[in-house]
Formats: sequence, C-alpha cells, structure tokens
Amino acid sequence: MSLQAAIDSGIFRFYALAILSLLAFAGITIAILRWRWPQKMDHAWRSYLGWLMMVPLVIGAIFLGRFAAVFLFTIISIFGFKEYARATGLYRDFFMTGTAYLGIIAVGITCLVTDPNLHTPGWYGLFIVMPVYVIAALLMVPILRNRTAGQLQVMALAILGFIYIGWMFGHLSFLTNANHAYGYILYLLVAVSLNDVAAYTCGRLFGRHPLRSEISPKKTWEGSIGALIFSMILPWVMWFSLPDFTPRELILTGLIVGIGGQIGDLAISVIKRDVGIKDTGALIKGHGGILDRIDSLIFTTPLFFHMISFYHPIQ
Amino acid sequence: MEEWNYQTAEDLDQTLAERLRRFPREPDIFVYGARLAGALTIRLLLKAWHRFTIRGQEHLPRQGSFIMVANHSSHLDALCMLSALPMGKLHHAFPAAAADYFFVSLPRLALASIIVNALPFHRQTNLRQSVSLCQNLLANDSPGNILILFPEGTRSTNGQMNPFKPGIGKLVAGTSLPVLPCYLDGAGKAWPKGTWCPRPCRVTLTIGQPRQFQSYGQSREDHDAIAAELYQAVQELAEQKPAE
Repeated sequence: MSLQAAIDSGIFRFYALAILSLLAFAGITIAILRWRWPQKMDHAWRSYLGWLMMVPLVIGAIFLGRFAAVFLFTIISIFGFKEYARATGLYRDFFMTGTAYLGIIAVGITCLVTDPNLHTPGWYGLFIVMPVYVIAALLMVPILRNRTAGQLQVMALAILGFIYIGWMFGHLSFLTNANHAYGYILYLLVAVSLNDVAAYTCGRLFGRHPLRSEISPKKTWEGSIGALIFSMILPWVMWFSLPDFTPRELILTGLIVGIGGQIGDLAISVIKRDVGIKDTGALIKGHGGILDRIDSLIFTTPLFFHMISFYHPIQ
Repeated sequence: MEEWNYQTAEDLDQTLAERLRRFPREPDIFVYGARLAGALTIRLLLKAWHRFTIRGQEHLPRQGSFIMVANHSSHLDALCMLSALPMGKLHHAFPAAAADYFFVSLPRLALASIIVNALPFHRQTNLRQSVSLCQNLLANDSPGNILILFPEGTRSTNGQMNPFKPGIGKLVAGTSLPVLPCYLDGAGKAWPKGTWCPRPCRVTLTIGQPRQFQSYGQSREDHDAIAAELYQAVQELAEQKPAE
C-alpha cells in the first residue's frame, strides 16, 4: 500500500468514489428531509455528521499508504482500549493501562517493520505471538508493585482488553501488508458497516422475536437473519474486491461478516450491560464511542484474516 | 461468584469539551503525560527565554494542602507558579482561572485543562460555587492539593497591584491552611495584557513564609483583614531586592 499504489489501484478508486458519492448523496438527502421534518431527522443528521468525520479520515489514511493506515488503526485501537478502561474502571490503574497501551503500540510496530527472516513487510511471527509477551508484562505489573488487593480483576480486565481491542483489532493493521490489501480492507470495512445497517433495517421492518433480550433488547432474530442473508450475497456482488477467492472463501466471508459482525456487537453489549452503561463514550457524534463503532470489526477482522491465510498466502 | 466492582468514569458519556470543562476531572494517563511534557517544556522555555529564577522554594510545605497567592499581571503568572512546584505535585496543583475567559473556546479550554490543570473560577456568576469547589479541594489533606490564586481577580495593566478581593479570606479564615504569599517580578513586562507573545524579559518569583489564619472568624471584616494582610505580605516581598 502506498500513495502511488492507491492511485493505480482500480479497487481503491472504485471504493473511494462509491463511498464518497454515497456520503454526499446521503448528506444531501438527509439535509433536505431535515429541512422538511427537523425533529424527526435530528438523530439521522447527527449520525451522518459522525460518518462525515470518520469516512474521509479512514479513506484518507488508506490512500496515504501503509504507514498512515497502520498509524490510524493503532490510534483507534488505543482509544478503543481507553474507552473500555474508562467503562470498567481499569483506567485508574496507570501501570496496567500504560503496559497495555505499550502492547498495542508494539502490535502496530510489528505490522510496519520488515520480517527479518522473510524480508517481507510486517513481522508476522512476532505479531502473532505478541499476546504472549504482553500478557507476561501485564502479569508482572502487580508483582513489581508488590500488590495483591484487586489485582486479579485488574489483570483480567487488562488482558481481555489488550487481546480483544488491541491484538484482534490489530489484524486490520496487518492486513495492510497483504497482497490484495485494498480489496480486503475496504471490503471488510464496507461489508461490516452494511451488515449493521441491514440488521437495523430488517429489524425495523420485520423484527418480532428478540435475539438476546438480556444483552441487546432491540435486536431481533429477523434483523439478524436479514443481515446474514445480505452479507452472504455481498461477496458475490463484490467478487472483484477479493480476487483470489473461490466460492468456498466467498461463502466463508459471508458467514464471518454476517454472523461474526453481530456476535462482535453483542460481545461489547455484554460488557456494557455488566458495567451498566449505554454507550462506551461520546467521541463520535451520533454514534457513541469508538468501541460502539468498531465492535463488529474487532470480531470479524481476525476471523477474516486467518480464513484468508488458511487458503492463500497473505503476503 | 462474587460480582466485580466496576468504577466507571463519571464523565464517560460526555463529549470532549464537556470533559475538559468538568471539575474535578477524572484521572487520565494521556492528560497526565501531556501535562508532564508541557511542564518540562515550559520550565525550559522560562529558563531560556525569561531567565526565570525562584527564591524561597524552601518555604513550600512538603505535604498537605496549601494555597499560594500572588500578584497578577500576565498569563505567565500561573505557569511560573507551577514551575516552582515539584513535578510530582503537578497533578494536585490547581491555578484558579477565569471560567468566562479560559473555559470557552476549545483551544484555550484544552490548554487550561490539560497543560495548566486550571480550576474554572466563575468570577461573575456562581462565585459561591467556585469558593465551595476550592474549599472541597483544600479539605483533601492526603496527598494534599495546592491552590494557586490571584486575589486581584484580573491582570493589572499598570504595574501596580490592585487590592486583594476578600474571597481569599473566606477560604482560609479559621483554618490552619498554610497560605504562601508570592511575588512575581517581571511577568507583566514580559507578557503584558493585550499582547500575543511573551518578550525575553527576566522574571523572578519570590515565595514568602507561610501564614495561617486560625484566629480569624467568618465575618466580612475578618475576610477583608486577611486579604489586606496578604496584600501587605506580597508588597513586602516586592520591596525585597535580590542579593547582587
């Protein structure tokens, strides 16, 4: 991935044009509807402003190349972990959170450096074992501080947060080293977002039976099945984005996004319900926090990554 | 299994601007890091650009809460006062800053909140709440908080000290809180009100002996008397000349 590669890539140009056009069209439509029904369209407008902030940032980073993309994804990871730490109370332990932040930065670095053995971009061997080193460092924190009270909770929260938000989401950074990085990353980002939209839309239109009433009261089986059907169809429509994929991989992609996306959403909801909060933050207008935005992506990205690498060399 | 205890941040659902305006603030590792980096930079710049000198640092109490009061003629004042404190106390030091000036636009809000750790002081509206905030802050004696106040209420423009407002008396009357009178020489000349950029003038901070006002009551006369005594103490520091 590089500036020149983005300009030359038909896939990148297609996605950039399609996404930015959709953003412009949605903006004009919502603005007109808002002029006619200001109160009804207020939530949609705030949600749109959030997209207006996020989309150019992500497209811009991917356009600028591998370093910019990894940098942005790592920053997102850091702020996602920060929201998790503030929601669970872990944020008060600076040593534990500081160690986790350093671990997340280390994950980002492994995605950027050259593999010393294979001389390919991204040090996969170190990336994949990073959880071992970071967990070891996190377990050492209470030992070095000679503390026991409350440390099991703090260690468990830190380890879960790093693995889930730092390392699993970090697979998106490592995807920047893939042979078909633009196709994989942009497909994943678009597919996961559309999966959420499909679940919401189908839920609103047909939803009757709650999916997981204790975890997410508004989600329904009808919405989930609708999203799954949509996500199973999308890879076939966007096959050009996934050049080496056989029908088997397209089906698996559909399942990963369709089912994994919703499990990711529910997983963060479990944490939010247990802690007793509605949103993980208020950083993104109309969307809540960063975690609320990337919850589906955190779950689907590593599954997608390892599905690809099982059948094709990533690099 | 016993349930875990989650101490969620109280400002979790607030926007960035709301969180910066909020006081007291939730601890934040990034803010603390930025503040330390900012403090190091400011101390270096003060030394290099203003040949900043501090006298009387030995008067600073080692533990517990205390107040520092000084004359006010420049935006440099709070930065100079903070630079006199050990780095370890930075996150427990709160210069009072006018809420109607520093806590409005996002850039000033970010600087005041993150770098200076300012306490928003409502000069015109809600003065009682601001005083109550200061009292709560000072009641915490372990590890102790440091309040930096400029009892003139606004920056002097003519090099002369304005009389101290009686609010300082309300805070300390009848308490054993140490109050350190301080004098800043040269700050008003280096960065006067109305200018954008500080000039390379020498700035000196003199910290006086701590005073306590246990014997004073809560009458208006007592508050005025305390304000006058502290005004006099700062004047005396101004009249001391450094050894050549």
